[in-house]
Amino acid sequence: MHLTREEESVLDGEKGAGAQKAMELVVALGKIYGADSLIDITSAHLSGASYKTIGDGGLKYLEDMAAGGAKVSVMSTLNPVGMDRNRWKEMHIGPDFASKQLRIIELYGSMGVRTTCSCTPYVGGNMPSLGDHIAWAESSALSFANSYIGARTNREGGPGALAAAIVGKTANYGLHLDDNRAPTVVIEADIDGSVFSHSLLGQAVGMAIGGGIPYFRGITPGVEEAKTLAAAMAASGSVAMFHVEDVTPEHGNHDISGLDVISIGKEELRAAYDRLNTSDDVQLIALGCPHLTEKEIREIAAFLKGKVKRKDVEIWFCTSAEIRDRCPEDVAVLEGFGPVLADTCMVVAPIEGAFRNTGTNSAKAGNYLPTLCCQKVMCRDIAALMGAVM
Amino acid sequence: MLTGRSISGGRAEGKVLKLDEPLSFLGGVNGSTGELSGGRGNVAGRILVFPHGKGSTVGSFTMYDLKVHGKAPAAVVNRSAETIVATGAVISDIPMVDSIDVDLISDGDLAVVDGDAGTLELPEVDMVESVTSALMSAGRVLMLKRPDTATSFPGRWSLVAGKIEPGESAQEAARREIAEETGISVGGPEAFSEPILVRENDRIWKVHPFIFSAEGAEPVLNSENLVFEWADPEALGDVFQVPGTAKVVLDLIGKSGRASKQGY
Repeated sequence: MHLTREEESVLDGEKGAGAQKAMELVVALGKIYGADSLIDITSAHLSGASYKTIGDGGLKYLEDMAAGGAKVSVMSTLNPVGMDRNRWKEMHIGPDFASKQLRIIELYGSMGVRTTCSCTPYVGGNMPSLGDHIAWAESSALSFANSYIGARTNREGGPGALAAAIVGKTANYGLHLDDNRAPTVVIEADIDGSVFSHSLLGQAVGMAIGGGIPYFRGITPGVEEAKTLAAAMAASGSVAMFHVEDVTPEHGNHDISGLDVISIGKEELRAAYDRLNTSDDVQLIALGCPHLTEKEIREIAAFLKGKVKRKDVEIWFCTSAEIRDRCPEDVAVLEGFGPVLADTCMVVAPIEGAFRNTGTNSAKAGNYLPTLCCQKVMCRDIAALMGAVM
Repeated sequence: MLTGRSISGGRAEGKVLKLDEPLSFLGGVNGSTGELSGGRGNVAGRILVFPHGKGSTVGSFTMYDLKVHGKAPAAVVNRSAETIVATGAVISDIPMVDSIDVDLISDGDLAVVDGDAGTLELPEVDMVESVTSALMSAGRVLMLKRPDTATSFPGRWSLVAGKIEPGESAQEAARREIAEETGISVGGPEAFSEPILVRENDRIWKVHPFIFSAEGAEPVLNSENLVFEWADPEALGDVFQVPGTAKVVLDLIGKSGRASKQGY
């Protein structure tokens, strides 16, 4: 791999130990994937933010990086953490978890990372442009950025994205290169336009193809639909990018003749639904995987107005503090049903301490709740979920 | 000395802990104690050799946890590095090398890993230079059966093989072995392949493969082999042969141009 003299000097430790360690990691990953050089990035988005997922090893790593003087050199945002930093008691979280989680947030902050913690940085705070090279580590967000925005990122891991943020560069391979962004399969989708159907579509496509770059026909997703589609395909498969005919910015860049065509309709959606649903009962309904957008919060508020919730069920609404603060009146409606939690979610919070059955409208959450949170899952659209507990 | 790729710098020496399956650090290794799940041993201070990593990306932090608790492996050696383990090794200052044929390394070997040079040395394992030759007649390849008392690969079928003597070139050794073991006198080789490495007990054979024409020749065996057979190169299984023989033969036939001539 070719390194510039400046990059070599960072690797030799001339910019400090933190930068040196970061450069070592960026170079090592580049070597593994056959990168010819490093490229400048315009932003980073970091995973590895919840104490629940990174544990004491991750916490110590961040302590050591911060103590070594590491600072990010590009706009960097952080994934959801394991709790709302003000309302963790309402999430049934104990003080030991809380103090370690707060320390993690503080450490990222001390390295210059923005600590509004969200899996949808692209709706506020960290909005890349078409053609930007970025280093993002949240699977749903990076797929959205590659696909809907046309920015360019590989599937970074948490430390890799932090290292890229520190040196302001990532290795030039994979989805940074034009040729690797070409569709690998055509998906003929026959679904209705709801967000939930896009979630099931993503689940079905992930189950059908595993990895690769699907090219969709038959859908016209907006931000909310694309967000949930991206999340589902990254959870049920390892899809990091997709194209949508006449919608996504790079859909016309590649020849798709000769690709296999897979049809996804009612039958496939039903199979996806059956895969996700393992419970008919819920103790918790958690919405916001990925984080609720302003539009979704308004729609949920309009739907809930005037209804009354069963007392034995909790409802959580998960979004970022930034989005929450944009729509206070609708948030007030939601608060009548359950907490609007900021900068956290049901997957990275330790909900297994308090719940066994969780309802969600997200295929992504439906994939991770059983494994990361020991939950049985009821996966329905929002109206059906709420209908079950009103 | 095995040469691979440098992934994470530093030098380490220790006993090999060899795993034949891909390893997930998250769930597979206890970050505080170094114990592997399933009673497979403890990674602390060992040269940890396995094909490649798998599982959750949080595994990188499990490796850091091991370092914090003083239970990290001394070094990591992979056939092919992936993001999780490479990341864990770099952030935890664990020397790591990949692109190494891990089949050449055995559990319990003493190993020296140089993460900067990307090399692995096995000081107690001898590397023995040798040759193996495919003799071809009527599209068939000469196979020799070794006695059960042979010092290497007893009871197996092999090509015409033997050690290179001091001062001898590989090609000279090949022709000498052919003369000794079969009584056949051959001309120059039709082709040769890159040397292959084969582990056998405390030795690694570095084998230089050749292919010779022996059209119409009648082998006369010495005491090193029991019987011979002219075998169909396409039908060589790997069960009773010296490991890798079938692949070597087909590779040599391809390089010699025989494949196209004889319509394989």
